Amino acid sequence: MKEFNSLEDILDFAINEEQLAADFYTELAGKMKHQEMKNTFEQYALEELGHRAKLEAIKNGKKYKVSEAKIADLKIADYLLDVDVDKTNITYQEALILAMKKEKIAFRLYNDLASAAIDEPSKKLFLMLAQEEAKHKLRFEVEYDSNILTEN
Amino acid sequence: MERSEEYIKNERKQEWRVELQKKTKAKDRMAIERVEMHEMAPEERIKSQRVEVNIGLSKEEAMLEATRCMDCVNPTCMEGCPVSINIPKFIKNIERGDILGAAAVLKETSALPAVCGRVCPQEAQCEARCFYVEKLNLKSVAIGHLERFAADFERESGVISVPELAEPNGVKVAVIGSGPSGLSFAGDMAKSGYDVTVFEALHEIGGVLKYGIPEFRLPNAVVDVEIENLRKMGVKFITNYIVGQTASLDDLKKEGFKAFYVGSGAGLPRFMNIPGENSNGIMSSNEYLTRVNLMGADSEESDTPILRGKNVVVVGGGNTAMDSVRTAKRLGAERAMIVYRRSEEEMPARLEEVHHAKQEGIEFLTLTNPIEYIADDNHRVSQIKVQKMELGEPDASGRRRPIPMEGSEYTIDATVVVVAVGVSPNPLIPNSVEGLEVSKWGTIEVVKDKMQSSIPEVFAGGDIVRGGATVILAMGDGRKAAANMDVYLKEKYLSKKVEL
Repeated sequence: MKEFNSLEDILDFAINEEQLAADFYTELAGKMKHQEMKNTFEQYALEELGHRAKLEAIKNGKKYKVSEAKIADLKIADYLLDVDVDKTNITYQEALILAMKKEKIAFRLYNDLASAAIDEPSKKLFLMLAQEEAKHKLRFEVEYDSNILTEN
Repeated sequence: MERSEEYIKNERKQEWRVELQKKTKAKDRMAIERVEMHEMAPEERIKSQRVEVNIGLSKEEAMLEATRCMDCVNPTCMEGCPVSINIPKFIKNIERGDILGAAAVLKETSALPAVCGRVCPQEAQCEARCFYVEKLNLKSVAIGHLERFAADFERESGVISVPELAEPNGVKVAVIGSGPSGLSFAGDMAKSGYDVTVFEALHEIGGVLKYGIPEFRLPNAVVDVEIENLRKMGVKFITNYIVGQTASLDDLKKEGFKAFYVGSGAGLPRFMNIPGENSNGIMSSNEYLTRVNLMGADSEESDTPILRGKNVVVVGGGNTAMDSVRTAKRLGAERAMIVYRRSEEEMPARLEEVHHAKQEGIEFLTLTNPIEYIADDNHRVSQIKVQKMELGEPDASGRRRPIPMEGSEYTIDATVVVVAVGVSPNPLIPNSVEGLEVSKWGTIEVVKDKMQSSIPEVFAGGDIVRGGATVILAMGDGRKAAANMDVYLKEKYLSKKVEL
């Protein structure tokens, strides 16, 4: 597991992860055959950049707290098959699956890091990051629940 | 324009209407019990796909039910009708015994009254806005049953009226898709004098009315009569013609078509994307219903095969799921089951369909979600792994969303699985027409209420715009598109002398 020497280290890692996610979606947008899916992935990339900006603000001193309330987990992503990211005709359903699964992986990573953290400030920071990812995942799950599973 | 308040008021002041209003007191109208639709007995009807469940009303029953209608000054029921049928006028015609007159009123604004009388969710539309419901908290006038009665009476009488048509103007318009939206559009454009041709990809006219809705709910013969009526109005139909493949919109333009209405529907099935979903024996509801409804696979003589199973599971809770599971029962399933991940209250299917399904012995496994299909050595599905769900706390939208219960997984035996979790728009036109704006859902973007796309001469409506809705909403789109395309074409070709 990656070692972190300071809270700044942790934030730098998380900021880089958001940037990598944005790059991933930008690359996907470039590959898509249809304009509406290009727009979709460009939108996802922008959302990731928004997450990065939020973390940068924390790095620059903005206060944060770990919410007591549990973020709902609809677990939709858990049972779905992976999407082939080499395709150039990804559908919106697949785009949502892709995004849900990415956020789930990030959530698990920060949750694991929080469990492994030895000092309280690091633990708190990882938990906050995990909560952020859980919120992002929920945003995609709710969209999937409302628009894809319309009759289920 | 014809639906203006003034028009409605003037119609209500017609001598015969005033006489009827005076003839029966309001309290006597209210004292009449709402009529019950007669139904074929469940044990009889499940023997055949072709036996209609609802039998209809007698003339006496219809006239009595029509007497319940108060002929309101402000008929709010009409606001609930996407095609603006003059509901009090047709009902009052039934009350006075002029059933053919009632049928003619329906046809003023609806190209498919016998269809709508059968499959419209009236309880959520016109009937939900009825005076009895809104002001008295009583059962609404049975508008849907009366609509069906009037349309059936006319058909059975053999005296079928054709709406008044404007002088032909020589402008050619093309309709892509012959479902309810396209047919409704075609009817209105023909009435306005246009030269209308409907292009249909399949070998039969009717779209989802034929391939999607089983004959026990909507007999094909009923649809055919309504189509024949459009033919009499001059609408031309070309089958086995896939616009976007057989010919492009540009090809059709070269043949003289000046504008297009895309009503190509949402025929692309959606799957859940869970492990094992590619196993044999698992199919979409579109495939399952098309084989039976359109290709007659339930008949021994049909060349089209259909999988029959002892245990059939249908995944989903909409009308399509109900149609599929009831079809499975009629094909001989011992256990025909609905697996739906929310609770029964949240099922999008009409209450009537759920009620009929239960009468027919359909099992409902609600708050249950498939997570994996298990196949045998021949890759044929044999079991479904499901998990129990519970409804979570209401979220920001106020909706309670289903959440899996840890450790609640179990398996169900199933040799046939029909997936009815929703549909996506047919991608052919959205993907093949340059410059056509399409949403991330694959639907065609149109100016709301005008139904005009990013290409001025291309209008669209129904499921290709909505992504999956009801027959009547699709028909409403067709009417709006016709009215607006008429304005567009008149400005462009008919207001000045332009060579066509």
